[in-house]
Order: sequence, then structure tokens, then C-alpha cells
Amino acid sequence: MIGNVYQTVCPGCNIGCGLYIREDEEGALSIDFMKSSPANEGKLCRFGIKLPEHYSKAVSMVDGAQASVEDAVKAASDKLKGADVTMLNVGNTTSEESLAFKAIADTLGTVVNTGMGVYSELPSECHPTVGVGMSLSDIESAKRIALFIDPYIQYPLVIRRILKAKENGASVVSVGWRNIHLADENKFIDPDKYESELGLDSESVIIADVHPNADPGWVKRMLNLALKTGAKIIFMKPFVNATGVDLLCKGTGQKGLKEIMDGINDGSIKTLVTLDSDLVELMPNSDEAAETLKKLDNLIVIASRDSAVNEIANVVIAAEPQYAKKGSFMNVEGQLLKNNGSGTAGIDALSSLNQNLGGEAMESASLHNKVLEGIIKKITKPKYKELACEVMDIGSMEGAKGNLVFLYNPFMWFDQKDDNDFVMVNLNMAKRLALRKGAMINLTSEGGSVSMRYKVEDMPDGLILTAKKIPAVTEWVATVSTEVV
Amino acid sequence: MVEVGDKLVGYATDDEVRKRGASGGLVTAVLAAALEKGMVESVVVLKHIDEYEAVPIITDDVEEVLASTGSMHSVPVNLAKYAVDRKVAMPGKPCDIKAVIEQSKRNKIDLDNTYLVGLNCGGTMPPVLTKQMLIEMYDIDPEDVVGEDIEKGKLIYRTKDGNEKAISIEELEEAGFGRRKNCQYCQLKIPTNSDLACGNWGVIGDLAGSATFCEVMNEKGKRLIENAVEAGRIEVEPASDKAIAIREKVNGVMVKMGETTQEKVFTQMPDEERLPYYREALADCIDCGGCKLACPVCSCGDDAKCTLFHNLGDNYKMSMFHLVRLLHLSDSCIGCGQCTDVCPVDIPITRIQMSFSIPAQTRLNYKPGMNADEKPPFFEVMIQ
Repeated sequence: MIGNVYQTVCPGCNIGCGLYIREDEEGALSIDFMKSSPANEGKLCRFGIKLPEHYSKAVSMVDGAQASVEDAVKAASDKLKGADVTMLNVGNTTSEESLAFKAIADTLGTVVNTGMGVYSELPSECHPTVGVGMSLSDIESAKRIALFIDPYIQYPLVIRRILKAKENGASVVSVGWRNIHLADENKFIDPDKYESELGLDSESVIIADVHPNADPGWVKRMLNLALKTGAKIIFMKPFVNATGVDLLCKGTGQKGLKEIMDGINDGSIKTLVTLDSDLVELMPNSDEAAETLKKLDNLIVIASRDSAVNEIANVVIAAEPQYAKKGSFMNVEGQLLKNNGSGTAGIDALSSLNQNLGGEAMESASLHNKVLEGIIKKITKPKYKELACEVMDIGSMEGAKGNLVFLYNPFMWFDQKDDNDFVMVNLNMAKRLALRKGAMINLTSEGGSVSMRYKVEDMPDGLILTAKKIPAVTEWVATVSTEVV
Repeated sequence: MVEVGDKLVGYATDDEVRKRGASGGLVTAVLAAALEKGMVESVVVLKHIDEYEAVPIITDDVEEVLASTGSMHSVPVNLAKYAVDRKVAMPGKPCDIKAVIEQSKRNKIDLDNTYLVGLNCGGTMPPVLTKQMLIEMYDIDPEDVVGEDIEKGKLIYRTKDGNEKAISIEELEEAGFGRRKNCQYCQLKIPTNSDLACGNWGVIGDLAGSATFCEVMNEKGKRLIENAVEAGRIEVEPASDKAIAIREKVNGVMVKMGETTQEKVFTQMPDEERLPYYREALADCIDCGGCKLACPVCSCGDDAKCTLFHNLGDNYKMSMFHLVRLLHLSDSCIGCGQCTDVCPVDIPITRIQMSFSIPAQTRLNYKPGMNADEKPPFFEVMIQ
């Protein structure tokens, strides 16, 4: 921290974009560009630019009433003693706090879930490749790049890496959902033809992503493609410290977000402790998620932001905002990124909680040393064998039906308001529905209906894309019926 | 007795400030004296993190001002917005000063309350690329650098072991390194739009490297110098004719380089190629709005025409946001390069904007950021 300026890392995804947060005399926040940051050279995406809207200060609460941190910690430890506890940390806070959280899990005899249920479906020898498959700079030196993400909407800071590769002579094939400008080829082909038709080899790079709602079959398909072609692969991830929690904290038998919610609904999970992981924000249907969480006997939330879940938690233990923390994050390429705040309120609270539960006290410096021990020294070569996989069938749709696909992005994961309340359809669908300028499309699924604005894109027929969370649709890919409003 | 128009050579009286400062610490001492004697309530300074990074801070602590010395060619920030709504003194490159003046025309900055100490600028460099340049061109570990300077067309780096290495800027730029693109065609190298125009060009003889050449541009500049002398923070003497001639010569060479580059970069484009070019150049835009946020001239805030007529869900082939900005800034873009610096998809926005702005400003006979009393052509009135 320099005066009122914090050097920090954008929480929007796991690329690890450096920036400054400036706090004025009245506490209002603004951003400054950190041009020396190797991950982003000061550049930020739409979410990064809007970070002042993202941050807020959490308040400690016990049973709905404001409380001191000490009282909140005591109330939490009273509720956790002897309970069967499920713990969740998706990676929205520092590695040091994450290790402290893991220590609590050890004390309680449980594991930390990262929300990435897909890991449970993958052989452990695949985990290093899904975790840190390559560096971001490897993209720039690739001869061919296969994109299985929409970088413009999902991970915009990858675009400049791809453009640099193109300047260096690379060709780019996008196997995503819509035609994208930077691709030399946009292919919508049968997954069985990826290996034969994408032209990948050992000088190629595959850019895919993995997230809490990722389809295990799809991830296996990506891993197989890398294995068979010899291409390097990078799995982009949401959450600033997703890689940190994966490497440092992940326990065996990982539960995904949906599994946790199912567990609450069926009564097998009664006590949940979350570390900066708001399931109301993370789940597709916020209202439904909130109702589910209310079924818990105990919901203990350790929070650096004042987000929706805090309102329904039995106990909120408030920590300082992410930008003010002392600690570090690990990005998608395994780089340790320093947060230069001086705040240790989060670690201190976690340490107190651990002590109350019978564990040891923890402090920032020793936790940081453990983080350093866990750093990846060298990216290892993939050691897995070909994986059997089934990939969901996204068949073509005709008539009024369509396949709605979510392009997951930071605004969705944090349920943060953006100018993205529209769906993308192709011209055929626009014509079929006789869409006029200003018209809305009504999307109906089993979960209900919603009306959205539309934008015409060059993309396969029958596909509907959106970057906006739609409560009525809870699957990554879902069939919906459409009508013009 | 100092007069407007005087050309002086001077330095800080405090040995430590003089030693640490880039050119005798005069600018630091002038700013500190302005704060110390109540001319201003605060000073905008760059707080060093390392050789490649600094953060603008606004301080009312004289000691903090004195500790902020040193040139930072690889920290390309624009300081204008930090002066908004403050009684402040600030150092600034010519483009910082231009932005302050344009902000004053938009009633965001009161120039009567703002003291501008301009710094000669041959150009600034992007920090990450600069580190790469040090490794590839200089064979120097970026962490070993303890100082840098530009002299006689060469970029010089000093290292911990006491050595220094110089390479011509021309050679560096041919290899894709060196100054930011907009700096390469910038033609204001001595900040004659500031209150005091300071730099090391023209500092010769025994004073070379330990004094600053300073031109008093107006009454505010005169007050700044007189105040610093009265406070005992600086000593000045008239610059010799030879020193003045050398400063003019260096400036002439730098300006000529800028003119030549501008001619190369901004070639005439046939009308039929213009729309496809702009559409293609802007096609990767992700609508982050960073260019607007970083623009030191833009003062519309949230209530802006460029955002009002634009929506992510638009079906236009070219962004209304950029179309509006191209027009709105065509009279007032100062070419500082901040928009290009922060663009997440590396669109050369400054170059695109300047391809509109250079002909527009030439036709309208308007140079933004140079004369505080000159009304921007698109303004109906200028309230002062």
C-alpha cells in the first residue's frame, strides 16, 4: 500500500491482471492502470474497469445482528464444534487465507472443496495439466492456436496474446460458438473430427477453460486432443486464485457447486463454511440458491465483500476487502502475484477460529512461506493416458427450439450488473422469429421464461448464446423454446 | 529578480536532493517550496516502486515531495486528472500539461490554483517492453538498473556495479523497442505550455548532470522560482547564450524527428479505404471503456455521449462508442497515448484518433493544450 493506493490483482478471473485501487478521503474507490504488470501491462477488461462497483466492505454478523469479529468467530466455533462440516473456497481470496482455511478443515477432519467437481471425474495424473498446463507467453510463440473459448466475452486479456501470436505468423482456429474476428477459421465441427480437422501439432496451443459447471466429458475431450496432437493446453479459469486453491488446498473427493447444493437439499449437508465463495452469486438461480442455503442448520460465511449470501448466513466473519489484504494469488500459469495491502484481518480471524476449534494459531509470514513451498517450479509434461469420454450432444435445432449456451464470464460468476442482458442468435433464427429492431425474444425452459434483447451474430443455426445469468436456465447448455415478444 | 521569459540554470541547495534528483533536483525543490510556503495545498508526485513503476500520489508532506526525485522514462502515466478540484502544484511532461489545460477549459481544473512545472520529454517507454529491451538489447538484468537518462539521442542505463551502457534511440526503435509510438511523432518536447519549462537540455560544463535548465513561461512560473529562491531551496543563474543555443538545437533535432515520423505514420488514405480500415482496426474492441477512463482530456464522466449512444447488444458493424469518440475528441485529442497503453486488445487507438484529429486540428487552426484562453473549436462558449 502506498498512501491510499493499493497494488492488487483483478478478481475477475485467473489471468492475474495487476492494477491499483485508489481509495479517496470519503472511501470512494477508483482504479489506476499498473503498466508494469507482466500479466496485463496495465490493461484491463470490462470487468476490471468496473472493479469499483465490485468491491464493498463486509460487516461481521451473528444471527442477523451486527457483531464484532471476535464475537462472530466465537459464534462460528460454537456452531462448528462437533458438526459434520462442508467447506468451500473457489479461490476468491489469497493463498495465505486459503491455507489458513485448509488448516481449519484439517482441524475439523474435513476437506476444502474448490467447487470444481470436474476434478473428481479426472484421474489424478491429469490434474497438473488442468491446473497449470503452460504459460500465457507460450500462446505468443505458438504456430497454431485452437480456441475453445470465446475470448472476447470470457477471457479478454488472452486476446492480445493471440494477436501477438498472429503477428508472429500463427494461424488461429476457433471451435467456439460464434464466428470471432481474430480467428482465421471458425469451425463448428463434430468433436470426433477435432483431431483430424484442426491441424494441431506439437507447435500448437489449445485454449480451453474449466469452471464449476464444466462438463467432465468436454474437459476429457480437450485433454485427449492435447495428448494425441502433442499440442500444449491451457485451461483458463474463473476466480483470481483458482490455481492457488487447486494446488495448495484441494482435497480428494472434490464436490462441485451443484453437488453441494444437492447435498443441502437432500439433508446430507447441514453445516457449510464458505471462504469468499458466495453460492447465491455463483449458482445460476440466485433466489433458488438462497432458499436452498436457508435449509442449512449453520451457514458460516467468511467474507471480504458485502455480497448476497451475507444476508442469510448465521454467522458472517468479515475480513478486509481483497485489495487491502496482505498476501498473494496464483494465476493460471502458476505465477505468484503479490497483493501489497497490509491487512491481515482475514488471516487473524481464521487463526482465531482454528484455535477455538483446537487447532494452532497462524500468522501471515509463516503461511506465506508455505505458499512459496507450493509454487510450481517447472510445468511438468502431461503424464496421463487417453481418457474415455462422452461429450454432450449439442445437436442442431429447428423451428422454435434452440440450444442456449452460457458464455461464463466474471459478471456471471459475481452476478454483477452489466450491459449484457441480451442473447445472440444467427440471422436464420432472427428471420424465423421475424425479429424486428427493438423486439425481445422470450426464452422458455422447464425452469420458467425470460424475455431478452437480441443481437445477430454469425453462428450456427439453432444456437442461442448469452453472457448473462438467466435464473430460468440452470445448465451450461439447455434446450429452450423461443418466441418473439 | 526573475522575469517572465528568463532562461535560467539552477539546482537544489540541499545536497541530498541535488544528488538524488535527475538534474540537480531543481524541480523537486521548487515543488517542495511551493507547498512549504503555502502557494498550494498539495503536490502531485510519482511515488517510486522501482525503476519501471511509480504511482501518482497527492501529498501535503514536504518530505514526501523531496523524496520523489528521479526521472522515470518508463512510467508513462498522465497526471492531469490528479489535479482536478485541487490547489496543487505538479510536475508534468508536455502532454500532462496539455491535458491540464484542456481540463481547465472544461472547468475541471482552475489554472489559477494549479502550478505546472513542465519537464522536457523526448518520450516515454512502456515498462514491460523496456525490461525486455534491457535483456535483449543491453544485456542488462532489469533488476540491476539504478538509473536512466536520455542524452544526445541515446538511451543510457546505469547499473548497480557503476557501469552504464548507451544505445541510440533510433536503433532501439528499429528493433521495436524504445519510446511509445505516440511519443515518436510528438512534436512538443519542451513544455512551453507550462508555467516553468525545465529539463537538462542546455546544461553544460561543470553543471552538466547536476543542474536544470529552466525557462520562466509566465507569471506563475516567475512566482514559483522566486518563492523557491526566497525559501532557500534553489539557486539559479542566467543560462549562457551557448546553453540556450544547445537547448534549442536539441529541441530542434527532437521536433524534426517527430515531424518525420508523423509524416511516415499518417499517410493519406484514399476515401474508399477509410471505412473498411477503421472497421477492421476497431473490430477486436471488447467495450471495456478503458480508453475513455484513461483519457486525460475526457471530462464527460458517466453522462457521456459516447456511452449514451452505445450498447453491447447493438447490431452495428462499427461501435457507436468509437464513432462518437472519434468525432468528439477530434478537436481536443492531445495524442498522449494513454488510450493505446490501456487497450486490452492492443488497438492503436491514439493513432486512429490522431488520424482524425491531426487534419481536423490543422483545418480548425487549433492546438489543444497549448493556450488556456483559446476556445476549443467545438465549444459554443468557454465559461471561465
